[in-house]
Amino acid sequence: MDQIKISLEHVSYTYSKGTPFEIKALDDVSLNIRTGTVTGIIGHTGSGKSTMVQLFNGLTRPMEGRILLDGVDIWEKPKEIGKIRFRVGLVMQYPEYQLFEETVEADIAYGPRNMGLDEDEIRSRVAEAARFVGLSPEMLTKSPFDLSGGQKRRAALAGIIAMRPEVLVLDEPAAGLDPMGRDAILNGICEYQKESGATVLIVSHSMEDMARYCDDIIVMDHAKVRMHGPRDEIFARSDELIDAGLDIPEITKLIWLLRSRGIDVDRSIYTVDRAEQELAHLFGI
Amino acid sequence: MKSIALGQYYPAASVVHRIDPRAKVILATLYIVCTFLCKNILSFAALVVSAVILILLTRIPLRTVFQSIKPLIVILLFTVIINIFWTTGDTLLLEWRFIRIYLEGIMQAVFMIVRILTLIVGTSMFLTYTTTPIALTDALEQLLGPLKKIRVPVHEFAMMMTIALRFIPTLVDETEKIMSAQKSRGTDFSSGSLIKRAKALIPILVPLFVSAFRRAEELATAMECRCYHGGEGRTRMRILKYRPSDFVAIGVMILLGAGLIVLNRLGIGYTM
Amino acid sequence: MSQPFIQVKNLCYSYQDDDGREVPVLRDLTLDIHRGEYVVILGHNGSGKSTFAKLLNMILEANSGQILIDGKDITSPDMTDDDVFALRRKIGMVFQNPDNQLVATIVEEDIAFGPENLGLPSEEIRRRVDDALEAVGMTAYAGHEPHRLSGGQKQRIAIAGIIAMQPECMIFDESTAMLDPSGRRDVIKTIETLNRERDITVIAITHYMNEAARADRVIIINDGKVAMDGTPNEIFSQGERLAQYGLDVPQGTALIHRLRERGISLDGDCTTPEQCADTICAALAGKGEK
Repeated sequence: MDQIKISLEHVSYTYSKGTPFEIKALDDVSLNIRTGTVTGIIGHTGSGKSTMVQLFNGLTRPMEGRILLDGVDIWEKPKEIGKIRFRVGLVMQYPEYQLFEETVEADIAYGPRNMGLDEDEIRSRVAEAARFVGLSPEMLTKSPFDLSGGQKRRAALAGIIAMRPEVLVLDEPAAGLDPMGRDAILNGICEYQKESGATVLIVSHSMEDMARYCDDIIVMDHAKVRMHGPRDEIFARSDELIDAGLDIPEITKLIWLLRSRGIDVDRSIYTVDRAEQELAHLFGI
Repeated sequence: MKSIALGQYYPAASVVHRIDPRAKVILATLYIVCTFLCKNILSFAALVVSAVILILLTRIPLRTVFQSIKPLIVILLFTVIINIFWTTGDTLLLEWRFIRIYLEGIMQAVFMIVRILTLIVGTSMFLTYTTTPIALTDALEQLLGPLKKIRVPVHEFAMMMTIALRFIPTLVDETEKIMSAQKSRGTDFSSGSLIKRAKALIPILVPLFVSAFRRAEELATAMECRCYHGGEGRTRMRILKYRPSDFVAIGVMILLGAGLIVLNRLGIGYTM
Repeated sequence: MSQPFIQVKNLCYSYQDDDGREVPVLRDLTLDIHRGEYVVILGHNGSGKSTFAKLLNMILEANSGQILIDGKDITSPDMTDDDVFALRRKIGMVFQNPDNQLVATIVEEDIAFGPENLGLPSEEIRRRVDDALEAVGMTAYAGHEPHRLSGGQKQRIAIAGIIAMQPECMIFDESTAMLDPSGRRDVIKTIETLNRERDITVIAITHYMNEAARADRVIIINDGKVAMDGTPNEIFSQGERLAQYGLDVPQGTALIHRLRERGISLDGDCTTPEQCADTICAALAGKGEK
């Protein structure tokens, strides 16, 4: 059986509880994330996924329920929640806005330094993190404010990777980037995942990216988990995705259009590669 | 979350809400004068009545009003203690070791509390609760308009106020986000020496300033694109117009002041 | 054809970096845009597309070359302040971050900001604000505070703020980049309506290919020059070149290309999923007949 890295047990969270502005962000959510997988979290704005992201590393404390990391409640010793944050790295939305040091190198070293590591270890971790995200050694000596948008984003990601988290949680890591910047950042995440065996959770609106990078997918809807399973299974239920107010990958849209016109193609296709094989077969090649 | 309220504006459709914001600035000023006119128990009683009537007119629930007074309790207690123990007079009520409490001291304390409370109720009922910050800015810009002749940059100040009001919630949100991001990298805000805690602020302040400057620059460009070129030749969509009722309100306020002076003359009981 | 609304000739722009070196951004950019067109400009970050937009309404000034708007040379040194205001009224601009373009704390006050700067009478401003709110479908939010709105709603308010100045042309500088899918859909729908119903010339800068698919014309800027210029179908049929410029093609288009490479003959457009489905169905039907 697969090992479980992190799980939520009956977790609920409500904003402004007891006021007229009360908003239920998470309502009795339970789920298990398998060790070493990449899980995509999708859902429209306000579905509760951003709240969920902040629960994994203890930035917010659930009002009800527990969060287990390797089977241990992360809030068992509230005073040591800081240690959890080193084990569960969180890359927030537009993380480039958190850069503050004089050099990129110093900024990446900020997390490891807070962990109390020695200088040699910090140096090697910074170099390693920079390599994962594809920042050259010359860039490390620059001011983070002199980098391009995409480079800043990668520097911010490196700042989390340098803490070598066992779980890496990312909130919209590619938002606002152009295709090249998007590929660079997502590839960096994959590199780290492969080499370290970390468990990765990515929140994204891009179904194409989800289809390409994730093993499992969680669909959030109105503060609850609506679907959770391997991506094949999820994309085979594209009609339900549309029902939850979500996009589906463009290639899936095309496949469903073909099916609606009576052409018999597999409905769980979500990559161009699979579509190519399937159609080539139909054309008799 | 985005629950922070700008000022304490309480939307309702009361007569006070409908008063022209300039008139309300004038009314608030006059009301402050009134609170200082009071000298004896009669005039203070009249002041309390006027404050109650004012609250009723605004249709703001009493609970909301009390909540705004709550943070002032410490100041009020302090005022009471100072006045009770330090005022001397003719009627000694209690003497115990070095503590002497006079009737005058108690009266003085009561008067001061009434003055502070009515001052706050008056200004908040006319200004913060019933006038939106933007209407207040407009009102101040127009009331202070004559100062433009002596080159006081009234329009510029009003514009700065508007932009500040607009961006406070945005920057509060932003600060929260940056704090969360740095906490995720192990920043500890809650423990350690004072110097250590001050140091922990650098990773918050630097990004916040960088972002504020970037926002300022983008906003300036966007404003230029919308043909902003200062107050010169600029018109307004909402033109403030005094209505007869505004003058009536100011008239009533002046009468209140006159009434208070008369009541002071009646000279009943302790005079402040 | 009549005189183009915007004529850009041999436009060059560079800036000095911190070490005093000249960094060229636009090199010899030439293009025409006609009245009523819906043009999408694509290019990777740093290609010069945003700089180009800022030159069009004089937020930046060109080093050399010419821009004629409605026949008037805006690069000429004779431009007065009034000319600049007239230009900015004619060519409105919406930026990327919706938060950083709203000035006032109430939606309708913000939309009134532009017309107020134009010195219009109060009733006229009121009329324009109501009209602009309707144009972006936000009438119900007139009295709201902008910071309580979603990203897509804020961006529509920013658009309304420009509409209220009654521009002839609107430039969208990556205006959908920071929005979630539903916000993006709403903003694109709004832009399309403005182009169709109000005949506003639209220049939309983006790196989302599916936004380009709906335009009349797509221009690719690479390395400060026009690299490609044509209808979406013409542009997307050249997938390899797009990849070379750091851009994607829509997935459906990529699929058709790959099938063609395998020797399957597929004729027809292949920009939107619908077009791709048509093309594939037609080819399959043709195969059946043979």
